[in-house]
Amino acid sequence: MTPNLTYVVVVGVLFAAGVTLLLERSLTRVLMGVIMLGNGVNLLILAGGRAGGPPIVGTTPQDRMSDPLPQAMILTAIVITLGMTAFLLALAYRSWLLVGHDEVQDDVEDRRIVALAERDEGPDAVDDSDTDDDAEPRPAP
Amino acid sequence: MLAVVAIHAIVAVAAPLFVRWWGRHALWVAAVAPATALVWASAQTGRVRDGRPVTESYSWVPVLGLGLDLRMGVLSWLMVLLIGGIGALVLGYSASYFASDEAGLGRFAAAFVAFAGAMFGLVVSDDLLLLYVFWELTTVFSFLLIGHDPGKRASRRAAMQALLVTTLGGLAMLAGFVLLGQRAGTYRWSQIAADPPTGGYLAAALVLILVGALSKSAIFPFSFWLPAAMAAPTPVSAYLHAAAMVKAGVFLVALMGPAFASDAPWRPVLLVAGTITMVFGGWTALRQHDLKLLLAYGTVGQLGLLMVVFGGGTRNAGLAGAAVLLAHALFKATLFLVVGVVDRVTGTRDLRALSGLGARTPALFAVAVLAAASMAGLPPTVGFVGKEAAFAAFLHGTATDRLVLVGLVLGSTLTVAYTLRFLWGAFARKPGVAVVAPRRPGVAFLLAPALLAAAGVAIGAAASGLDELLAGYADAFPAAGPGYHLALWHGLTAALGLSALALVAGTTLFGAARRVPLARIRLRFDGAAVYERVVGGVDRLAIELTGATQRGSLPFYLGVILLVLVFLPGGLLVAGAPWPRHARAWDTSLQAVVAAGIVVAAVFAVRALRRLTAMVLVGISGYGVAVLFVLHGAPDLALTQFLVETATIVMVVLVLRRLPAKFSERPIRTSRIGRIAIGVAVGVVAAAMAFVAVGGRQAVPVSVDFPDLAVSYGGGDNVVNVILVDIRAWDTMGEISVLVVAATGVASLIFRRSGALLRRGGVPSLPSGPRAPGWRMAGTSPEARRQSVILQVVARLVFYPIVLFSIFLLFSGHNAPGGGFAGGLVAGLALAVRYLAGGQPELRAAAPVDAGAVLGAGLFVSVGTGVVAMAVGGQVLQSAVLDAHVPVLGDVHLVTSIFFDVGVYLVVVGLVLDILRSLGAEMDRQQDLGDAREEAA
Amino acid sequence: MRVLVPLPVVMPLLGAALTLMLARRPRAQRAVSLAVLTATLGVSVALLVATSTGPPRVVQVGGWAAPLGIVLIADQFAALMLVVSAAVTLCVLVYSIGQGMADGNEETPLSIYHPSYLVLTAGVTNAFLSGDLFNLYVGFEILLVASYVLITLGGTENRIRAGTTYVVVSILSSLIFLTGLGLVYAATGTLNMAQLAGRLDALPDGLNLVLHTMLLLAFGIKAAVFPLSAWLPDSYPTAPAPVTAVFAGLLTKVGVYAIIRTETLLFPGGRTADLLLVVGLLTMLVGILGAVAQSDIKRLLSFTLVSHIGYMLFGIGLTSGLGLSAAIFYVVHHITVQTTLFLAVGLVERRGGSTAMDRLGGLARLSPLLAVLFFVPALNLAGIPPFSGFLGKLGLIEAGVASGGPLPWALVAGGLLTSLLTLYAIARVWSLAFWREPHTAMPGPEDTTHTRPPSGTARPRDVPDPAEFSGAMLPRLMVASTVALVVFGVALTAVAGPLFELTTDAADSLLERVPYIRAVYPDGVP
Repeated sequence: MTPNLTYVVVVGVLFAAGVTLLLERSLTRVLMGVIMLGNGVNLLILAGGRAGGPPIVGTTPQDRMSDPLPQAMILTAIVITLGMTAFLLALAYRSWLLVGHDEVQDDVEDRRIVALAERDEGPDAVDDSDTDDDAEPRPAP
Repeated sequence: MLAVVAIHAIVAVAAPLFVRWWGRHALWVAAVAPATALVWASAQTGRVRDGRPVTESYSWVPVLGLGLDLRMGVLSWLMVLLIGGIGALVLGYSASYFASDEAGLGRFAAAFVAFAGAMFGLVVSDDLLLLYVFWELTTVFSFLLIGHDPGKRASRRAAMQALLVTTLGGLAMLAGFVLLGQRAGTYRWSQIAADPPTGGYLAAALVLILVGALSKSAIFPFSFWLPAAMAAPTPVSAYLHAAAMVKAGVFLVALMGPAFASDAPWRPVLLVAGTITMVFGGWTALRQHDLKLLLAYGTVGQLGLLMVVFGGGTRNAGLAGAAVLLAHALFKATLFLVVGVVDRVTGTRDLRALSGLGARTPALFAVAVLAAASMAGLPPTVGFVGKEAAFAAFLHGTATDRLVLVGLVLGSTLTVAYTLRFLWGAFARKPGVAVVAPRRPGVAFLLAPALLAAAGVAIGAAASGLDELLAGYADAFPAAGPGYHLALWHGLTAALGLSALALVAGTTLFGAARRVPLARIRLRFDGAAVYERVVGGVDRLAIELTGATQRGSLPFYLGVILLVLVFLPGGLLVAGAPWPRHARAWDTSLQAVVAAGIVVAAVFAVRALRRLTAMVLVGISGYGVAVLFVLHGAPDLALTQFLVETATIVMVVLVLRRLPAKFSERPIRTSRIGRIAIGVAVGVVAAAMAFVAVGGRQAVPVSVDFPDLAVSYGGGDNVVNVILVDIRAWDTMGEISVLVVAATGVASLIFRRSGALLRRGGVPSLPSGPRAPGWRMAGTSPEARRQSVILQVVARLVFYPIVLFSIFLLFSGHNAPGGGFAGGLVAGLALAVRYLAGGQPELRAAAPVDAGAVLGAGLFVSVGTGVVAMAVGGQVLQSAVLDAHVPVLGDVHLVTSIFFDVGVYLVVVGLVLDILRSLGAEMDRQQDLGDAREEAA
Repeated sequence: MRVLVPLPVVMPLLGAALTLMLARRPRAQRAVSLAVLTATLGVSVALLVATSTGPPRVVQVGGWAAPLGIVLIADQFAALMLVVSAAVTLCVLVYSIGQGMADGNEETPLSIYHPSYLVLTAGVTNAFLSGDLFNLYVGFEILLVASYVLITLGGTENRIRAGTTYVVVSILSSLIFLTGLGLVYAATGTLNMAQLAGRLDALPDGLNLVLHTMLLLAFGIKAAVFPLSAWLPDSYPTAPAPVTAVFAGLLTKVGVYAIIRTETLLFPGGRTADLLLVVGLLTMLVGILGAVAQSDIKRLLSFTLVSHIGYMLFGIGLTSGLGLSAAIFYVVHHITVQTTLFLAVGLVERRGGSTAMDRLGGLARLSPLLAVLFFVPALNLAGIPPFSGFLGKLGLIEAGVASGGPLPWALVAGGLLTSLLTLYAIARVWSLAFWREPHTAMPGPEDTTHTRPPSGTARPRDVPDPAEFSGAMLPRLMVASTVALVVFGVALTAVAGPLFELTTDAADSLLERVPYIRAVYPDGVP
């Protein structure tokens, strides 16, 4: 099968644009990145099937029909992406509601360990508490 | 033998109950388990002596060569006697040692018995892997026993230390076993020993195994964990750290010695490590003030001695080793128990605080002296017999043996010295120290040590009988020189002379050590420090590595993934993927035009600073893709894409009205450039992959026959629709369940006031009176209200036609573009129009149902269709074509898959409804609450 | 018997639909979920029996013969996975009912826990059963979207942040999978795995390898393979205990399952074997060192989860029968033990009011039962004999030594080191949380045995409020389900012999490929 360069180019651009947005911190941009990537992938799948007339028996002779299977796959993918979009939107709104913006925050615990590493220290949870030495087991309340 | 293990297990499990019922006396009951081992083994004595080992065998994991293969030869028999006998006695002793209200006594009893069982299993295992299993179990139980008093940091650390060090060794040993087993083709020791493998990586295997043995027996360089483990209660020390666990390593060496003593690394490793340990332990023992520590270091030295003797690898050395093994278990356990008594009756173990105890407690003193005699190697004790044999074994031999002999004499000199120090320290009357006033130890308390000490003497007296028994083991070694026999009196031999020498030298050394500060001289090796450094190093490494890899930043993670994508498949692509020779620019030049539009929109979408602008541009690119679908000859796809893009824009706009208009720009150019770089790279790779993959197609696609089949089996002309609702209906079923869950998820995220609470504080109160309309087009002026009224009327007018059209799409979809998705989305958009015009009330008027119910019903209908098909004997989701003549409608041509599509329709409607409810109405409500609160403030 | 094959997917979906419609009636919801999952377990067991005595069972959905339509295939491997996952999901459901999390929430218009949970189960089972690459993608999507909902349950700030990381990374992995899928279809013109097996072989090496690595990348993210794993420890620990437990047990394993299929059915010949071994080693070590660095038990366990995925890659990368068999065995073991541990930690959180090691203490004394429930699976995880973790590790080591060569040697060493470090990490948890006397005041003496889920548990939370555990009792159902899983894990040791026979058969037929393909195409591949 000979590739269609137009598709190839558009796929490339949509991927590039989508990824660039995906790497942003603003959840809205991430969402748009996802949408664009989704379109890019769909086009890539489409490129994997022959182009032609609509795959509807009676309107097009079979030997000139476009390949219906990729279309079915894409349809499924589109709808799934729709679901994802809705969910990501809800996340973005929720995050705005809680912290006043829709930017993805860094993980606190991780940053704590990164800080330890920068200060060249060991883990905090180590058994160095001499306080409890020979401590009588406290009567449980 | 398995039965004996089982008994231990049962008693261990029941032990806590016993303790709850009978307090510390339950320990006597628990002692039954090890006692059975003792009794059973003694019953087998005759058979074992006659060289007919007891064997049992059950299957466990044949694939791994791991079976419950048990075998008791002479060596195992000896160990079982020690483990069972001493175990039972120490348990009984513990009943007196512990206070009646001792915390965690049940746990102690359970762990102790379980340990005894594991130890028994260890020494009777014939399968090396099984041996490892029990080996690790002893480690775990000793961990629990050392940590008997977890309130103390010292015992926690000691327990952890012992656990890690011995497990490290254990794992090395496991690797060694596997190497050995692979080489020998079996893990059964009896078979390996019969025909030991040679060459290859055997040496490596042996070294690894020795690492395990040495670490378990606290031999240099692993000695440090044993003294630390003295944090355990004294009975534990007496059993684990004198008689049983630390002997496991020695046992392994003794077991394998006959087969491997002649192989390269075996003897050197044992002789060197053993001698170092012997001297180090003995000398350090001389410097201790805590009686228990003194014994601990003594044990370390003695274990070194044992390694040396077994490492000798001759028949006589083996015999001597077995004797010393027995002797040491007896006297060292006794002495630990004695220390326990001293500790309990005087309240201290510090020999600087003890004075005149011997006179006060003569019985205890007598016991101690008997045991000490055995330790120092005085006749007629078994200790003497063993040491004589050891000297004799190395007397006539190579230069190495001579060297070793010197070490042995030095070792026993030190032993004599610290034995004296022990007796003096514990019992002697010391000038300037107040004489202690001890409580009288009860008979039960002294029973165990007394019996053990007596046994030491008795066996010594019966040396010839012992010789007869142990010979069975020793003969496995290659004989070197005349066979030696254990006895108290061989006449005036060189060995006897050496014993005397050691005795004299030891006594002088002890005397000197008391006067001259000789004992200040430290042997500089601090394994504990090394351990601490290693553990600390691991912790640091962990922090550094984790800090470097676990950045906690989402963009970082995504970047890593995408870089892998660029370098791995991308790299391979460049490396060697076949580039197609032919390509065409486009199918119709129109594609190029549309493509250009998409590209422009995409680029500007990336650059856009305002949320709305960005979304519109994204939408444009999406519509462009839809046009491409049309040009490709995919009307259904195009239709759906148009509808989905529209729905998406509606959703996004609904949310964006709440978010700030502009993206918050952070002026970090580098990261921006980095993002773009990754983006471009991924884009290039994706495009290239598409190019290559499409070009690589040779085979005919499976879909080539679909058109015919769609008509004949699927009963529809629209192939894509037939695929969705019939050929690949299973996919569609999954996909609508995705929609269902996504919808519920959206609702669950939006319908939570707790979130609003977190931020605004105070319980939200619903504003009374008529709900303000949602989507404010222009303020809330009367003007605007009138506008929205007009809008509502228009919306109602168009609503029903659109809904009808959507239903038409649903039913016509089988033969023309349309179908459940398209129909559902159209209906959904109709609802959206109603909502946008009139907000929540209009929406409720338009669809007075619960979104969740609609979703559920839709899913139920679709999946149900599939089940019905199964019920009537077809495959799941199989469709049928029904042609019937209905009076009014005329001929009806019905494909059952339409029901499936109806379900899809419902789900999509439910999804949109749900989204409008949450992202629309609920957000309005929360907005109103916010406004109301601001007005109030 | 073939009629059973679709049921593990269909039943949970129907259940989900029902529970949605029963949103207002929690008790009915619970009944439905329990019934459905119990039935699923039953069906799975039946399938396992059938497949281990006969050939793989194949269903052609809608009666469309392969390669036209979608086929569902239950071979030994799939059936085994079904049984384990069904058992685990059932236990976790009981646990969560005990926790009262399933009781819904008056603030949410539809009680979403049960539907999402059932759909999650359906997604997992679908992924195991699917014989069609695109349907495998759909299966992944099902379980992923359900997991999105469950991980953000309650929508607290932590969960939103963690959930965002999880969702976005997963979406990216799905898009990568979809891309790979599109490429595969473009290059071969089919989606049916049995047919792909042949058509992929026919492709030029370079292209074949590109497709191969694309799929591996997609699955590697789901399986949390280093360096694609960093998202996991950030996201899992914040979810409610049962959710974390079922995620930790199942989701990554679905990725591993997909990798195994990829390596055996689609791209045999182990051309990426060395790659797998290397990343396996890195995953083990980086993961376990990450665990050592943690001070929170949940996070620590998440890192061990990542680390032990390395063991499975080890087995797969060896491409030998024993290696693969041990890997499968390890998967079974790890699903069980990791789930159990997270459930146990959930109990710890209820009992001690935290999972931070420097806030906990003295649990061994306060609650001996809890101590046992943690200690046993912990040892199991650390590969202490005689537990299944040791047996799996032993199999891997034997396989590694048998293969020989520098890389396998390195893996053997790395594996042993990893289990030592696992023991270190676990022992520290034990020493700090269970042995050391507590610093801050801990809740009073425990009495388990009470049925009423304590008030306030209806809403899953990150920060337990003191009032919550003032009575600090462990609901009977939670304890019971945890006990059940602990027992299940220990039972694996008892049945290790037959189980290893089974995994070895499964591994052999996987490597052979023929049984699978013949099951789909009795008279030759079209």
